[in-house]
Parts: sequence; C-alpha cells; structure tokens
Amino acid sequence: MRSYLAVVRGSTMMGMVYRFGFLAATVGNVVYLGVAYYLWKSVYGDATTIRGLTFDQTFLYVALGSTLFIVLKTYVDWNLYSEIREGIVAIYLVRPIDFQLYMLASCTGFFLLSVATLVVPTILLMVFVFQVSIPLSAPLALLPFSLVFAFVLTFCFDYGVGLSGFYTESIWGISTVKDTLVLVLSGALIPLQFFPDTIRDILRWLPFQAVYYTPLSLVTLPDEGWQHVTRFGVQVGWMVVLLAATRVLYGRAVKVLRIAGG
Amino acid sequence: MSVAIRSPAEYLRLYFLIEGQYIKARLHYRADFMISSVGMLFSSLATLGVFAVLFSTIDELAGWSFMEMVFIYAFYMVAISPMQILFDQFWFLRFDVRQGTFLKYYFRPLNMMFYYVSERFDLKGLTQLVLGVGLLVYSSLRLELGWTPGRLAILFVTLLSASLVQISLVVAAACSAFWFINSWPVLSLAWKMREFAPYPMTIFSGLMRITFTYILPIGFVAFFPSQLFLRPETVSGVVWAAPFVGIGLFAVTYLVWSRGVDAYTGTGS
Repeated sequence: MRSYLAVVRGSTMMGMVYRFGFLAATVGNVVYLGVAYYLWKSVYGDATTIRGLTFDQTFLYVALGSTLFIVLKTYVDWNLYSEIREGIVAIYLVRPIDFQLYMLASCTGFFLLSVATLVVPTILLMVFVFQVSIPLSAPLALLPFSLVFAFVLTFCFDYGVGLSGFYTESIWGISTVKDTLVLVLSGALIPLQFFPDTIRDILRWLPFQAVYYTPLSLVTLPDEGWQHVTRFGVQVGWMVVLLAATRVLYGRAVKVLRIAGG
Repeated sequence: MSVAIRSPAEYLRLYFLIEGQYIKARLHYRADFMISSVGMLFSSLATLGVFAVLFSTIDELAGWSFMEMVFIYAFYMVAISPMQILFDQFWFLRFDVRQGTFLKYYFRPLNMMFYYVSERFDLKGLTQLVLGVGLLVYSSLRLELGWTPGRLAILFVTLLSASLVQISLVVAAACSAFWFINSWPVLSLAWKMREFAPYPMTIFSGLMRITFTYILPIGFVAFFPSQLFLRPETVSGVVWAAPFVGIGLFAVTYLVWSRGVDAYTGTGS
C-alpha cells in the first residue's frame, strides 16, 4: 500500500508541473459554461420544465458534466500505449507491484488535483455568478463515493484501451471511439431524460451512464430516493466487473509482449 | 538569407511529390488507417447524435430546424477538414521547437510554412471531409435549396474562407510555442473553441456574441456563412464579411508565424 501511495504523491507533483494546463482547462470550461447557459436557455424558451427537469436542474447537470469530463481524463490509454511502444513497460514487469493498481495510482494524483482546481471553482461559479441553487439533500452523502467510483470506471475504460497497445500500434482510433461512446451514451452532454424512452431503458443498464449520470443525478435530482441506491448499485457492480475484466485482459495481453533490446 | 522565388505551380508540384511519398509510407499501416477512420467517423457523428436527441424534445433551436442544423454542421465539417488534413503538423510544433528539430526548416530554399505543413497529410481527416460533403448534399436536397452556378461559387469561396478562419486560430495558437515553448494550454483552448462553431450565434448575447463574432470569430467557421444559403433573404450585414474574414485572419496569422520564426533561438537541446 505504501508504495502505491508514493506513486499517488509522485503523480500529484507531476500534475503541479502542468499548472498552466489546468488554468487553460479552467478557462475553456468557463467559456463552455457560458455556451451551455445560452444554448439551454434557448432550448427552454418559455417552458418551465422539459422532460421533468427545470432549466436550473439541466444547466447544473450540464455544467457539472463538462467539469467532470475534464476531471475524469486519466490519459492512461495514451501513457500505457507509449510505455509499451518505447519498452518502458518492461521495468514495471520486474518490479514486485500489481500493474493494474500501479496504473490506477499513477493517475490518481491528477484526479485529486483537478477535483480541487476545477470542481470547487465551478460550483462557486454556478452558485454566485449563474445564481443556480444547489439543494442540500440526503443523496449528496453518496456523492464522494460515486465520484471516486466514476473515476475508477473511467480508469477501466482507458486502461482497457491502453492494453490494446500490446496488440496494435494504432490507438488513436480505438481511443476516440471509446471517448465518443462514453461521451454520448453516458449522458455527459445531455441528461438521459432527454433521450427517447426506449433508448434510455437500454442505457440505464450500461456502464457508461454510471460514469456521468449516476453522480450527476445525486446533485440534480434531490427528490429521487431509491432510484439513487439502484443506480449506485449498478455503478458498483460495473466497477467490480470491469476491474476483473481488465485484470484478465492484462494477463493475456502481457504474454504477447516482445521488447527488442533496450 | 535569400529564398529562391518559386512559382505557385512549382510549389504545387513539390507538394504532390512530397505528399505522394508520405502517403505511400502511411499505406504500409492499413489497419491504422482503417481504425483511425472509424474513430474519426464516430467523433464526427457524436455532435449529430446530440442534435438528434435534442430535437426529439424540441422542434427548433432559436428558429432553426433540425435539417438546417445538419446543414450548418455539414458546412462546419467541410470547413475544418483542411486544418485536419493539411495543417495537422502544427500539433507537433511545440515538440519541434523544444527538441530543436525545427532548426532544419531554416535551411531549405522553400517557404518555411509550406515546408512545415508538407511534412504531414492526415489521411483519416478524409473521412470527415467525405462525410461532410455527403451531409451537405443530403441536407440541401432535403431543404430544397436552389443551387445556381453563382451560389455554388459563393459556397466554394465561403468554405475556403471558413477553413482559413479555423486554420488561423489553431496555427496562431500553435505559434505561441516560439515564445512559451509549451503551447499545449493555448492550443487545446483554441481547439475547444472550435466545438462551439456549429451553434446558432444568435442564441448568444453580450460579451460572448462579440467574442465569437469579432475576437475569436468562430461564428465565421460555419454559422454565418451557412446563412447565405439557408436564409439568403434575411442575412445581416456582418454575414457578408464571411468570404473575406478568412483571408484577413490568415494574413495576420502568417505575420505571427513569421515573427515567431525570426524570434526563435532554440532551447539549447
């Protein structure tokens, strides 16, 4: 455990080096919030609710969604890919560490930093500039856990795609397909309520919505009760399944690795 | 240093020669091309998916119908393709500047920007271009837009101008590497702005509208020029600037690039 904590600390320090990157992400996100505000204002027009959501609920959802999108970028797929390509991965294979846990720890620092530098300012901006009230309710207690699980789920997607680097040198396409699927099917851009009912019933059980819709609805739908618990259960279930699946995948993929010299 | 004056025709011949070699080399990686093209297709269709979901609950967005939005988005896809296909090399400028590999571009009797962009031809971007053209044709048939030779000429000129706007914004952002080395923050910001281009600019007000029209004129990448074809009878004065904005902006960007090239002294590595 101590060695993984050291990796987390190391990746936090690495993140500090890229502070201008965080700054640019913050500026980009603020502009996006402005765009989203006008876009959804225009969508709502005179309507008070659409699909059971008020403008405030939808805007809060979309704003936190875009912030979460930046926070949940692990870049594990790209880092793993380049480490396989350059043969650096061989160093980890001889160390007495669990590779999956090591990779998870290596992106945790960035996650913690970006929660502090992005999520907190966004919430302040929502409350004080856009005057959106955030209701304090019982489901909020689940939020920290749900956020961490969403992070682990994203890690599983990215790690899985990164593992394909053992088989192919072409990762841009696979990674882009993954990003697009997650972005569209998770309700990251549009709340799932806006999807046609039949599609929504399918999406409900897929792992994608567990990344965005589950934590975001904890904030935006304070009146729902048991549905939160069900979604939380689905989230935990997928996390266990995907952690196990990527372990199996790693066990198979690492066998095809050949590194020339070095 | 005197640079040999070459005619545009000669540059064109050189370009085809260089890219021909590059494409031959890339075609060794057929699987990469296929997988990347699928990725490109997915990411291009994502925004359309979002529009489709949105329009399943509303009939129009700021007065624009779904099919009109498809037209604007198709225009956008075609307009950003030259940046993707021809100017992709600028994503690597920050590495070239840091590692010193940029120095080699000073030693050829060619226009430096030409030499630099000729290093890469992004094949997967062709997917976006083909999809964009297809959707442009499809949506204008569905909207029953009357195409005359004159209109088509305006379309060609406005697409050229719109793509120059997109190229200028990204290239200028990439050029910040000459002064700051790590241009990633500026570059990713400029790239993100592009995503807002297919939305109707009329939904914005105040500062955002001014910014998207005059300062970072992403309105000219798709929305303003599209109006010339969708609602030619109701366009405002600013829209008629669409065919010219790109050229002006590119001239400024070229100046920034030239200054950067002159200011660059290497990083010592």
